[in-house]
Amino acid sequence: MKCAFASPRVSATAIEANEFPRLAEEMEVWAVPRIVVNGSPQWDGSVPEAVFLQRVLSAAYG
Amino acid sequence: MGVLRPEEEAKVRELFAGLERPVELVVALGPEETAMLGARDVDFGAEATRVAEGLAELGELVSMRVEEEPDGFPRFPSVAIRPDGEDAGVRYDGLPWGYEVASLIGGVLEAGRRESSLKPESLEALASLDRDLALDVFVTPT
Repeated sequence: MKCAFASPRVSATAIEANEFPRLAEEMEVWAVPRIVVNGSPQWDGSVPEAVFLQRVLSAAYG
Repeated sequence: MGVLRPEEEAKVRELFAGLERPVELVVALGPEETAMLGARDVDFGAEATRVAEGLAELGELVSMRVEEEPDGFPRFPSVAIRPDGEDAGVRYDGLPWGYEVASLIGGVLEAGRRESSLKPESLEALASLDRDLALDVFVTPT
């Protein structure tokens, strides 16, 4: 959310996995938080800010 | 019953008093996907509205409104967090409850800041983005 407030290029949605089971299944949500970047599942779990940014950017540009 | 316990309410009221700009919560209601077993008795939209109303009561700069099937919301219910009423692309899809109410509160606090709480190097990285990024974070309330 912080990234989205800080950049007009970023949007952020928290999605309650139990309420949207079809999408959760599609995104292979077996553990939370599950991070998905531009529709592509990336990783599970909380990470420090710098690691988060690095992973998100490498997913976007990878 | 309130959304938060009385002692939590007092704390959130204190935090919301420090907001530097208005924050609007937009509750988007519409057709809901059939959720988990045993949840049929829960009206997720009504509950999401109640949560947003409960938070809006705790801060002078926090407001809320409800919209029926607005554009740009693929799932319902959903709560958008808008700094100064502007769409910043931040939403919570589903009913925020349990620990997730804290996420929503955290979102309101960040939206209410004039300066981001991210580190300068993170802001630098975001400023250099030349493409759009859609981040989805799947969560559960417990």
